[in-house]
Amino acid sequence: MAMDVIDYEIFGAEMQFVEVELDPGEAAIGEAGAMMYMQDDIQMDTVFGDGSQQTSGFMGKLLGAGKRLLTGESLFTTVFHNEGSGKRRVAFAAPYPGKIIPVDLTEVGGTLICQKDSFLCAAKGVSLGIAFQKKIGTGLFGGEGFIMQKLDGDGMAFIHAGGTLHEKVLVPGETIRVDTGCVVAFQPSVDFDIKYVGKIKSAIFGGEGLFFATLSGPGKVWLQSLPLSRLANRIIMSAPAAGGRSADQSSLLGAGVLGGILGSSDD
Amino acid sequence: MTDSVFTGRLFGPGIAGAGVAAGAAWELTGGLRILPLDPGLGILNAEQPSVTSGGFNAGGLRIAWQDGDASWAFIVDAGDEQARCKATAPPQISEQFNGITRKRNRLERRFKMGGALLSFIILLPLLLIVLFLLNRDRIASWVVQRIPVAHEARLGDMVLAQSRLQMKILDSGPDVDAIRNIGKRLTTGSAHTYRWFVAERSDLNAFAAPGGVVVVFRGLLNSVASSEELAGVLAHEVAHAELRHSLVGMVKGLGLRAAVSMTFGDLSDSVFTDGATRLTELRFSRDAEREADAEGLRLLMAARISPEGMLRFYERLASEKRGSPPAILSTHPASGERLDWLRNEVTKFSGSWQPLQVYPGKGTN
Repeated sequence: MAMDVIDYEIFGAEMQFVEVELDPGEAAIGEAGAMMYMQDDIQMDTVFGDGSQQTSGFMGKLLGAGKRLLTGESLFTTVFHNEGSGKRRVAFAAPYPGKIIPVDLTEVGGTLICQKDSFLCAAKGVSLGIAFQKKIGTGLFGGEGFIMQKLDGDGMAFIHAGGTLHEKVLVPGETIRVDTGCVVAFQPSVDFDIKYVGKIKSAIFGGEGLFFATLSGPGKVWLQSLPLSRLANRIIMSAPAAGGRSADQSSLLGAGVLGGILGSSDD
Repeated sequence: MTDSVFTGRLFGPGIAGAGVAAGAAWELTGGLRILPLDPGLGILNAEQPSVTSGGFNAGGLRIAWQDGDASWAFIVDAGDEQARCKATAPPQISEQFNGITRKRNRLERRFKMGGALLSFIILLPLLLIVLFLLNRDRIASWVVQRIPVAHEARLGDMVLAQSRLQMKILDSGPDVDAIRNIGKRLTTGSAHTYRWFVAERSDLNAFAAPGGVVVVFRGLLNSVASSEELAGVLAHEVAHAELRHSLVGMVKGLGLRAAVSMTFGDLSDSVFTDGATRLTELRFSRDAEREADAEGLRLLMAARISPEGMLRFYERLASEKRGSPPAILSTHPASGERLDWLRNEVTKFSGSWQPLQVYPGKGTN
């Protein structure tokens, strides 16, 4: 499968977008709705499935589309071709605050397992599949569910997650414990498991839940500092319309605390 | 020895974090010789490596070894490469593969069990509904047996009160007395306290509410030719009350709705409002009608009232059906089958019937 080599540039700090440069005849696939802008001569083409196979027949396409539904992506993928004679640019924006990270699939061995819904865009030819988590415990308590996304190919792929994204290298035998929900992507050589927090007291009052996710090397892993669900939770908690408090955080500590305990008068 | 070379990814000190592609081959001594594709790395020899499963879903093969303080690992992906790795492994290594196979089988087994359990939990409410539907008669009668007669009478009062809003209902008068006289003979020894009413409506109809409330419509009173015919209709309605058909129907409906709303959440209107509409509707299933016929006939026999009247009334209904069907047929579907059955049953009985008091304006048979 011939991959298209993509030049790119990432703009912004916390709410990023990636601008991808396409040579004449090159193409990129994007998550539906992720496109931000594109230059002249770039043709947008919506295909059923992930656009990686050109001749897979109707059933193959249907299967691909079904997989996309399972991973929370939309049924259709948009392919952006450069039909012009010079280099043209198309940009894809992240849907919520966080970082976009470029992953060269060749460098990681051709396959990357990532959190579902984290795919943003990729060179045409990268196929999006599902990786079914077969460890029951990890699926239930690992924070990523049973269905993860698998990116296959040898081109560039861009994934996106909330907060700051951190790339970590695990040497053979190295294990890190991660808060559940913070795992964004990892090489398939990495063992993804769960581990009980350890003590009843920590499990109940530690605030980390009952389990940690554990990642064992060797290989590269990407972690996110702020899963969207956590951010959404905080927003709901402080949204007056949803019964939250609109009290100013910068108010005097005592007043803030007392207000919190006694219930502020302005809700 | 090139056919014994399998490819994988090498991880170790001095190598990029994501590893590099490399080939490897087993040595007869149980060691592993690594042949990196990158010529800068040179050939590596792994002494006493341990083989475990690793990676996502334990699908990969992790060959790990120590070189002084440095840990190395060589990962072989699932598929042909792994099969070749396993096939060419020397005896001291292949023992370790058994453990890996066991571990993978266990993972697969647990995954399947978990999947089965999950689908069971998802399908459980549906399963319960099916079970309920299959056993609804038994469940409903079990529940109904536990409802005291006094409660049933209260339900009857509710139905009566609701009916009073829709039609004029007489509590007394010569017609009510006549009905009561016949009814008393039919209901001797009943647990219910029967109350008899006449509704001032021209429909040819009668109904029995729970707890022994029997309402006969004026239209029906006008159409019966004799007291025996009236007795036949009353016997049928009393049978409904005695068999507590409206309660059974209500319990069935409520139970089904409760089960459905437990499964699919609240369906627009609440269980109870719907149950209340059901109560006033008072429709019975065909089975219930057939049961009421049989029980009604038995009541007539017990009261020594000639069942001929019941038969004749049904026959007349069936013949009138061709024109505009009387209202009673919409709630009491009189099929030909039922009529035939009744005719057959009636011929079986003969005996000395106690004639009924002549109902004012009607003859006796």
